Amino acid sequence: MRATEVRPTGVERTFGEDELIVTKTDPRGVITYTNDVFLRVSALTEEQAVGRPHSLIRHPDMPRAVFQLLWDTLGRRQEIFAYVLNLAVDGAHYWVFAHITPSFDRTGRLLGYHSNRRRPAAAAVQTVGSVYARMLDEERRRSRTPDAVAAGTAVLEQILGEHGRTYDELVWDITDGSAR
Amino acid sequence: MRSVPPAGTGPEDAIRLVTEVCERAANGDLEARVPALGDTAGAPELRVAVNGLLDHIDAFVRESGAASTAAAEGRFHRHFLTQGLDGAYRTAAEQITHANQVMSRTAAQFADAARARQALADELESAVLTASEQVATAATEMGRSANGLADFARSAVTDAERGLGTVSSLRTSSEEIRHAVDLINQVAAQTRLLALNATIEAARAGSAGRGFSVVASEVKNLANETSSSSEEIMNQVNTVQQSAADAIAVLEAVTNRIREMSDLVDGIAVAVDGGHRSGDGGLSRLAEVLRSEVSRFVTTIRQS
Ligand SMILES: Cc1cc2nc3c(=O)[nH]c(=O)nc-3n(C[C@H](O)[C@H](O)[C@H](O)COP(=O)(O)O)c2cc1C
Repeated sequence: MRATEVRPTGVERTFGEDELIVTKTDPRGVITYTNDVFLRVSALTEEQAVGRPHSLIRHPDMPRAVFQLLWDTLGRRQEIFAYVLNLAVDGAHYWVFAHITPSFDRTGRLLGYHSNRRRPAAAAVQTVGSVYARMLDEERRRSRTPDAVAAGTAVLEQILGEHGRTYDELVWDITDGSAR
Repeated sequence: MRSVPPAGTGPEDAIRLVTEVCERAANGDLEARVPALGDTAGAPELRVAVNGLLDHIDAFVRESGAASTAAAEGRFHRHFLTQGLDGAYRTAAEQITHANQVMSRTAAQFADAARARQALADELESAVLTASEQVATAATEMGRSANGLADFARSAVTDAERGLGTVSSLRTSSEEIRHAVDLINQVAAQTRLLALNATIEAARAGSAGRGFSVVASEVKNLANETSSSSEEIMNQVNTVQQSAADAIAVLEAVTNRIREMSDLVDGIAVAVDGGHRSGDGGLSRLAEVLRSEVSRFVTTIRQS
C-alpha cells in the first residue's frame, strides 16, 4: 500500500476548517498514532496505518527536496512548517499545512515526531503548488535520487533568494497572505 | 503504542487503560494516547474523545512553546496558529499572539532606537576624531610658534643686553675722555701761565729776548687754542653722555617688555605642550584624552 502503488484519481478531498489531522511517528518516521481525522481523510483504518512508514500517503507530485528539508530541520531538533500534498489510499488527494515537531522526554532524548495539520487556504495552495511544480520539473530531469534532491533544493533556494526570504519566512508570508 | 488490545478487553480493562493515559497526561506526558479499548458499548467513542482532548492539549502546548520561543528569538513571523483550536484554547492563544505582537513592536522600536544610536555614535566618533586631529595639529603648530617666539625673545633680550653693555662702555669711555680733557685743560692753563712768565722775562732781557718773546707768544696762542678745542670736546662728550643715558633707558624698557612677552609665550607653550609637572595635560594630550574617552563611550553604545 505504498503511495506509489495507489493511482491518483484527481479527486480533491478537504477536511474541516477547525479540524486537526494528527499523527505521531517514532524517530524513523514510522506511524505510532493517528487521530480519527487522519484515518478518515486518508481512507485508512488504524490497522493499515500504525506501524507503517509515513510515506504511506506520499503523493508522487511532492518534490523530494521538501522532505529532505523536513528531515534536515527535524534533525536539528527544530520544528518545521510545510505545505504537503498527500495521497489517500483511495486515490484522492488532499493538501495540508503541516507543522512537525520533535517530541522529547524529560531528559531531552528524542522520542519521536508529532505532526499537526491544518486545512490550508486555497490561495496558499495555489502559490505553493506553482513553486513545487518548478521544483518537481527539475527533479524529474535527474535519474539519481541525490541529484534530484539537489536540483529541487537549488530551485527552492533560487526562489527564496529572489524573494530575499528564508524558507520559514516565505512559508509564513504565504500563510499570512492568504489568511481567510 | 499498542492500538490493538489483547483479545477480550472488557470494561474494566478499558477503564484502567483510560485512567493510566489520563494520569500520564496529567503528569505532563503528552505522548500518551488511549489504545484500542475493545468494542464495549461507548468504548470506541470514549477513546476518540480522550485522544481528541489530548491532541488539542498537545497542539496547544506545542504551539505556545514554539510561538513564545520564536518571539523570544525575534522570529516574529512565526506566530501562534490558532486554527483548529477553539474556546479557551483559542482565547489563550490570542492572548499569547497579542503579547508577541507587543513584543514585536517593542523590539522594532528598540531596533530603531538602536539604529539611531549607532548612527549618532558614528557621527560623534567621526566629529570628535576630526576635531581632535585638528586640535592636535593646531597644538603642534602653536607649540612650534610659541617655541620660536620664546627663542626669538631670548635672543632679543641677549641682543638688547649686549647693546646696553656697549652703550654703558661708551659712557665710561666718555668719562675717561672728560678726565683726559680736564688734564689737557690744566696743562694748557699752566702753559699759558708759563708763556706769560716767559714773555715778561723776554721783555726784561731787551732786544736779546725778542726772539724768545715771539716763541712765548706762539706758545700762549697754542695753549688758548688747546683750551677752546677742549671746550668743544667737552660739549661733544656731554652730548654723547646724554644720548647714552637716553639709549640705556630705552634699551632697559625694551628688555623689560621682551621679558614680559617671554613669560606670556612660556605660558602659551605650557598650555599647549603641558607642563612638566605630572598630571598636567597640554592641548594635544587633552585632545588625545577626549578622543579615547569618546571612543570608549562609542564602543559601549555600540555594544548595548
Ligand atoms: C511526523 C511526520 C509526519 C509526516 N507526514 C507526512 C505526510 O503527511 N505526508 C508525506 O508524504 N510525508 C510525511 N512525512 C515524511 C515521510 O516520513 C517521508 O519522508 C516522505 O513521505 C517521503 O518519503 P520517501 O522518502 O519515501 O519519498 C512525515 C514525517 C514525519 C516525521
